[in-house]
Amino acid sequence: MTIDVFWRIPTHGEPSSHRNRTPHRGDWFPGDDTKAKPGSVGGTGQGYIDYVAEIARAAEISGFQGGLIPSFPMTDEPWVISSLLARETSTFRFMIPFQPGFLNPVVAARMTASLQRATGGRALYNIITGGGGPAQLWWGDSASHDDRYGRTTEFLDVLKGVWNGGPFSYHGKFYQVEDAGLAHPLSQEEYPEIYFSGSSDAALASASKHADYYLTWLEPFDQLREKFDRVKARTQILGRKIKCAIRVDIIARPTEEEAWAEIEKGFNSLSREALDKFQNPDASDSVGAARQRGNRPTTINSYKDLIIEPNVWSGFSLLRGGQTNGIVGSYEQVAERLDQLVALGADAFILASTPHLEEAYRVGEEVLPLLRGKTDTAILRAVG
Amino acid sequence: MTTEFLWQLPTSGDGRYGNSRKERRAERASSAHPYSDGVTDPRGLSFNYFDYLHQVARAADLAGFDGIRIPEDINGDEPWIIAGYVARGSRHLKLVTEFDASRGSSVYAAKNTVSYQRFTDGRFAWQISAGGDDKHRRALGDFVADSEINPRIEEFVTVARGVLTQSPYSFKGKYFEVLNGGFQGALSNQKVPPIYLSGKSQEALALSAKVADFHIFDADTVESIQQQIQELRALAKPYGREPAFALRIDIVSRETEDEATFDARRYWQQSEQGNHQPVINGNLWAGLSTDTTAANATLVGSYEQVTEALVAYAAAGVSSFLLSSVPHFEEAYRLGEHVLPAVRAQIKHDQRRAA
Ligand SMILES: Cc1cc2nc3c(=O)[nH]c(=O)nc-3n(C[C@H](O)[C@H](O)[C@H](O)COP(=O)(O)O)c2cc1C
Repeated sequence: MTIDVFWRIPTHGEPSSHRNRTPHRGDWFPGDDTKAKPGSVGGTGQGYIDYVAEIARAAEISGFQGGLIPSFPMTDEPWVISSLLARETSTFRFMIPFQPGFLNPVVAARMTASLQRATGGRALYNIITGGGGPAQLWWGDSASHDDRYGRTTEFLDVLKGVWNGGPFSYHGKFYQVEDAGLAHPLSQEEYPEIYFSGSSDAALASASKHADYYLTWLEPFDQLREKFDRVKARTQILGRKIKCAIRVDIIARPTEEEAWAEIEKGFNSLSREALDKFQNPDASDSVGAARQRGNRPTTINSYKDLIIEPNVWSGFSLLRGGQTNGIVGSYEQVAERLDQLVALGADAFILASTPHLEEAYRVGEEVLPLLRGKTDTAILRAVG
Repeated sequence: MTTEFLWQLPTSGDGRYGNSRKERRAERASSAHPYSDGVTDPRGLSFNYFDYLHQVARAADLAGFDGIRIPEDINGDEPWIIAGYVARGSRHLKLVTEFDASRGSSVYAAKNTVSYQRFTDGRFAWQISAGGDDKHRRALGDFVADSEINPRIEEFVTVARGVLTQSPYSFKGKYFEVLNGGFQGALSNQKVPPIYLSGKSQEALALSAKVADFHIFDADTVESIQQQIQELRALAKPYGREPAFALRIDIVSRETEDEATFDARRYWQQSEQGNHQPVINGNLWAGLSTDTTAANATLVGSYEQVTEALVAYAAAGVSSFLLSSVPHFEEAYRLGEHVLPAVRAQIKHDQRRAA
């Protein structure tokens, strides 16, 4: 058995380093327009998609399976990016996060089967169910937290039901279909691998029924072990097996000092408002996000206050959008920490570092070769 | 007024014959053109129908079409994915993507459209259709009554246009809602997709009068199209609008009329329609093909005859031609070479004279 390592595609531009937010790649933060920035739309006919294409190519060349392509109100969209880059990539697998509630499941099945055909089977999902609050209504969705997960489960019931051609009928609370099924040759495609994100009980109920991988953000290691065990036990009750995956940012440098220097510079360039917002985020019903916040001190004076265990820093969302815990250290330390996560149950990683283009090469060249993953040394010795 | 010519992507099959529906060029998994065991086939499973669709889109781009229509056919591939797949291989094609309003949240459709527009320089457009009959719609998880189809399209369009053009934007309707929606920064002010609607019913025409940028008419005689255009114009007038008028029509055009007629007859035989004969009215043939993505009627004739016929529709008010012809790859070049330049020149000439 081996572990799978994915990269991430920044769908909201990105700063050119962790140290500060400008210059910013892409066209999200118009600053000094006299400086041509990679991936901003200019008179040249280039756009952000060209930069994204570069990252996807860098990731596949550097040995990543593919990449997670996040979807939020301020980002570009993963279905679009995947279909546009289908012909420009060879092995890159497109991990598409989407909230099932936003798509008719039969349409989603058709889109997915077509994307499989367009890419030679390189599409997979990260099923997300939304964090509630104003953002949920921004998307036009007023369903409650647990209803959203009920809908997710039914969506995946229907998707699976129609996949191989049907005829399939279903009468759920949220979805009904009658004599549905994919037509040939769409019906011949591989069912997409399903990663599933969500930390609440409702999430676990849904994941245990349908997910191949339970995907979580990085949490303190002991807490993660407990979470993985809980997910696995719950899935086993249904007679299924589930794997576990972690989405984590890393800063890996030749020495630990250099790695922390990146963090320190980035932290010191922050405004007071950014720190305040960090400690008082927008309303949300996300259990996962609350779990991440739960490990932080209440007063933060230095970047060091956010070190929650060795090589784990809990302030990444200060330096770029997204989740908050990440691993910081030398190449060897980062590889070692990732291997410890494998030991406590991780089967796959989605790694990221800023800027994603250059860091894809760095991590691919310096960290991935150090990973032992699920190498069983005993077996290797016996064979070799 | 400028006139646009859109080619059709054959989303569910294409080949050299009248029954091409059954064939998917380049689809290696179920190869329609295998070699004998005695000949090396270098293709393996390297290609499938997507490679061919990409070629057709490139052909339309190179042959001078203004865009492509990507029809939704439950037996074919999914249009939004196809639109993305061909986007970066084409430089100026408008990508008219067909779907129906049961596809999901209108905000989500608008959100995806923002990325399409950003990545294609605003070439993405929508054709929203009514969907199939009851049975067909239930197989798509859609149980709304016939009478609700048009009201739902209207809400879908209203919400999408709302979030694309305003922020914050709120709406609460029967089918869709949004609270403080709309796009910020780089995602804001992206091109609202031109909206193509169709349908013959009074409800469909009334909806187009209110919200369509283009209304698509099924192929018919010039007189009939002219009459329908006048009717829709009158319906739209109270709203102070005038949608553009589009014509969905197939073409079999050859150097001579005899060759065109001969090929049309052969297509008809190949399309296995038994005794059901095509109805011929001058150069307009109805019922030449049973293909569900085929048009209501086909112009059959020499390059000059077809040119003349298209110019006559333009004179009647049509400013968007949704054309197709089998096989779509070769025929894109044929029409691009022998028909489009002449039609464009004549329309320009006529417009100049009228001015
Ligand atoms: C690894 C991971 C990736 C996520 N990616 C996205 C995303 O791209 N877009 C989004 O809206 N939410 C994303 N989410 C958030 C989930 O949709 C969901 O809001 C969150 O997990 C709350 O569910 P819970 O209450 O069960 O924890 C992600 C969550 C995780 C753990």
